Amino acid sequence: MEIRTHKLFGIGCLLLVIAPTAPAQQPFTSVAEEVNRKVVKLFGAGGFKGLPSYGSGILISPKGHILTCNNHILSSTDLRVHLYDGRFYHAKVLFREPELDVAVCKIDDEVDSLPHFDFAKSAAQPMAEVGDWLLAFSNCFHIATRDEPMTVQRGVVAAMAELRGRRGVFDAAFSGEVYFIDGIVCNPGAAGGPVTNRKGELLGVLGRELKSTQTDTWINYAIPIQAKADIQREEGKTVKIDMAAFVKESIEGKYRQSDPNKAKKDKGGYHGIILVANAVGATPPYVEEIMPGSPAAQAGLRPDDLVVYLDGELVPSIRLFRDVMRQVGPGQEVTLEIQRVNRLLTVKLKLGDQPKEKASK
Amino acid sequence: MKHQKVMILAAALLLVGASSLLAQDLNDQLEKATKEAARKVAPSVVQIVTLGGTDIVVTGAKGATFRKALGPTTGLIVGTDGYIISSSFNFINSPTTILVAIPGRKDPVPAKRIATDKSRMLTLLKVDANSLPVPAFVPNKDIIEGQWAIALGRTLDSKRAHPPSVSLGIISAVGRIWGKAIQTDAKVSPVNYGGPLIDMEGRVQGILIPASPTGADDTAGFEWYDSGIGFAIPMEDVLAVLPRLKEGKDLQKGTLGIGMKTPDLYSVLPEIGKVAKDSAAARAGLKPGDVITEVDGKPVIRMAQIMHILGTKYEGEKISLKYKRGDKVLEAANLELVSIAAVTAPPFLGILPMRDDPKLGVEIRYVFAKGPAEAAGLKVGDRIVKYGTGAADTAFTGDVAGRAQLLNWLNTLAPGTEIRLEVARKDGGKSDTVAAKLETLPGAMIGQDWVVPDKLPAVASLKRALEPLESSNPNVKPAKVDPAKVDPAKVDPAKVDPAKVDADAKKVETGLIKRNTPDGDHKFWVFVHEKYDPNVAHALVVWLHPPGKNKEEDVEKFIDRIWEDLCQEHNIILIGPASENETGWLPSDADYVLAAVQDTMKRYTIDRQRVVAHGLGVGGQMAIHLGFNHRDVIRGVAAVGAVVTQVKDTLAAQRLCFFLAGGALDPIVKTIAESRDKLVERKFSAMFREMPERGREYLDETPQLRELARWIETLDKQ
Repeated sequence: MEIRTHKLFGIGCLLLVIAPTAPAQQPFTSVAEEVNRKVVKLFGAGGFKGLPSYGSGILISPKGHILTCNNHILSSTDLRVHLYDGRFYHAKVLFREPELDVAVCKIDDEVDSLPHFDFAKSAAQPMAEVGDWLLAFSNCFHIATRDEPMTVQRGVVAAMAELRGRRGVFDAAFSGEVYFIDGIVCNPGAAGGPVTNRKGELLGVLGRELKSTQTDTWINYAIPIQAKADIQREEGKTVKIDMAAFVKESIEGKYRQSDPNKAKKDKGGYHGIILVANAVGATPPYVEEIMPGSPAAQAGLRPDDLVVYLDGELVPSIRLFRDVMRQVGPGQEVTLEIQRVNRLLTVKLKLGDQPKEKASK
Repeated sequence: MKHQKVMILAAALLLVGASSLLAQDLNDQLEKATKEAARKVAPSVVQIVTLGGTDIVVTGAKGATFRKALGPTTGLIVGTDGYIISSSFNFINSPTTILVAIPGRKDPVPAKRIATDKSRMLTLLKVDANSLPVPAFVPNKDIIEGQWAIALGRTLDSKRAHPPSVSLGIISAVGRIWGKAIQTDAKVSPVNYGGPLIDMEGRVQGILIPASPTGADDTAGFEWYDSGIGFAIPMEDVLAVLPRLKEGKDLQKGTLGIGMKTPDLYSVLPEIGKVAKDSAAARAGLKPGDVITEVDGKPVIRMAQIMHILGTKYEGEKISLKYKRGDKVLEAANLELVSIAAVTAPPFLGILPMRDDPKLGVEIRYVFAKGPAEAAGLKVGDRIVKYGTGAADTAFTGDVAGRAQLLNWLNTLAPGTEIRLEVARKDGGKSDTVAAKLETLPGAMIGQDWVVPDKLPAVASLKRALEPLESSNPNVKPAKVDPAKVDPAKVDPAKVDPAKVDADAKKVETGLIKRNTPDGDHKFWVFVHEKYDPNVAHALVVWLHPPGKNKEEDVEKFIDRIWEDLCQEHNIILIGPASENETGWLPSDADYVLAAVQDTMKRYTIDRQRVVAHGLGVGGQMAIHLGFNHRDVIRGVAAVGAVVTQVKDTLAAQRLCFFLAGGALDPIVKTIAESRDKLVERKFSAMFREMPERGREYLDETPQLRELARWIETLDKQ
């Protein structure tokens, strides 16, 4: 095995150009074969609103635990799993974690010694870097018949950045840092499939079909297996959960699933900035007026200032400014970068309590 | 360090070739080289943030859409003193503020737009900064198909300390887009437009842009984003043009000003069909029938070869030509190319013709003050019976209406051309031949506004639209018809649409009528004023309502309170298709909007020279889109509170005029005003009207509304 690996990586595509008579051993063949055994195709019943009724999943235990995307096909009453070799089982959803946009299902049968990823071990590895080569495995477009291996695609980690995507008018469930991929890997049915490095080591979970809110183009991404998310418990506490803990506790059957219908409460504090009329869809947040004595007045903001960044994030529209400010509570501080005439100024703004007599809208 | 890396790679290759005892992991080396190359250029790759500006139309997989997202984009430092080059795509919405975040520097800095290269679609920015890192570049001769290529961008990750985004591919081709671009299979998209394409040694090969061999506007090629077909302007060419961009003047593509005899680029000799006046070709004495044989010393036998050479040239650059005239080979050296805009101004004789006139020739309805017709002594009621350039030797045929035949001919001429007209005078019927020097269509001159005349003659039509046209062919006998009683059987079916006659026979329905497009899928309303006469050609105004404003009361208000009287006074039929989408218009809606137009044209007598797309806000944006993309139907665009972002070239045979209006309080009003200049730069007739104390609102109760109605009335001027 060791020798074979050397040989495998020794014969790159460059070599094939130079020495076309070399043995037909390709750089990713054994990795593809190995990973494919740990990947499953998922099928739900029917399909609705143009969404596919099929998906991809990753085996994470010898007993048939599967990590996949927390998407609509899991709502199917009859979830079916096809292994790489065509073996077929029914499966049940054990736990979902919307904040990480993943779920764990289990094959509804006594199985043992299935090939699988050691998730805890993989998640303990350092994350991949921008420019690293990767492979994506998926049931995209269900091109593979149910007894065929998955589609393997190659790419590099294009960027590591926060996911800002949407489907139609719905924002992406997960909003942490993801691997953006320079291959077209997020196709129908791909979500939930694994992304590995060249050596077949698990890096992330393929994402959904989303359009970027920054570029309005379709994006290709995977949620890193090291992903973390803040989860609000009903009692008002916020806990940080990482994917490894979610996987471990799910397999152990003791994950505490949060209420999927929980509403995020608006707790926005008072700033005292009155912006210009939101006349156009994307009117930039120009300051029209500052309430006397307000936190904004104390911070030295003035009419005609343009708010450009809010805590380092670009706020190109009044709508976005309001959305972000709603999340900031009284007593919390935000940093605004504002454009005044031709200069950029940094202003710290500590929000206060909403004035009693007039509730802000 | 770098050399070492290359050595290792080379050594690795040799070793592999020699034996399989290789200890090096080649892919590992490539991966590391990719990252190192990106790191090397990273300090010169900046993030650009734009604020303000307008909605943008781009072409996507499902036709064009309005782009909603405008995240940060990318640029590359090209001068230690603060010059940054980027893709023009990143600025098509005319942002009011541009900010540049430079790696390693704390705060973003405001940037000024210095100039745009409209041939290669690059924009030069300048920030106040010094000692900026400028990356090394690969000379053109060293860029070869098959080499590695890495596309870098700064859209996704806002952290300046991070590396830029990376996409790995190869050079797919060089010399694409008529010699201007490198092609790569690295993923190119808004994520990296404006960023560099670099080689494995961290040297810049080119600047990434959207591009298409068939389109030339700012967004052409966007539909290919992430497809494995991406383009970059070679860095050597970017650097070559930099000094000219720094002067602050936009650069235009240079053209000869010729039209070929056939549109075939590949299989026939390049024979000239038309030479535009004042063009490079005209100055060199080229004439229709000449066959170009050599450009800049290179022999050519196909138009495509000429385009490959000309594709890289700018306005003002010089070329040399050899061409064949008969048996002789002639030469034109030092031929200065002109911009597209310089050669296509529409001509103007200065008359309104009488409509619905089945007789041969053109009766003059109105003579514009100070126009060529007035100078030539033409009077209202005179009938133009013959025309020509050398002599008035072309007669009217009756195949099409006289005013259409005259306009088609005028459209082939440039302003400044001297023409001769034979006219039958109204008084006494005697014939005169007059000379007139054509001018530029009003509204199509930079810095010159046009005001539609206050009073136009009330009589616009001879009210004989349903009669067959008189023919110059003696074998064709015009049927004598009483316009009051049109008998469908006697009307030449080729000339009059039977549907129209049917409609007439049945007594046309007037008022507000609800209809479906012929496929039954889309609703629209039609408003026909009560004095509608099918013998009178009517203008057709297509109202593209603002989002959510298509309820009954909106339509009633629009007609009863605003347009009803104007429709009667100026013979206008209004139609109002309903947008599919709650949030506004998608350019793909154009299909059923046009189906509604065609349906209405079948039912009523519509003057094809006065079909106007009209809208407010997003509806106005849609009107502009419709105008540019469906010029076979639309002749006028009247847009309120909307901006022209990408101006297409004028087409002489399909004249398109613009009436733009904006409220003084609308934040985009300045950009609307600039749109007018942009249009006029490309020789479109365009006017702009500002409504005081208004935001993004309609024209009701403003003098601009009446002017718009008169503008529609004059769309058939020539």
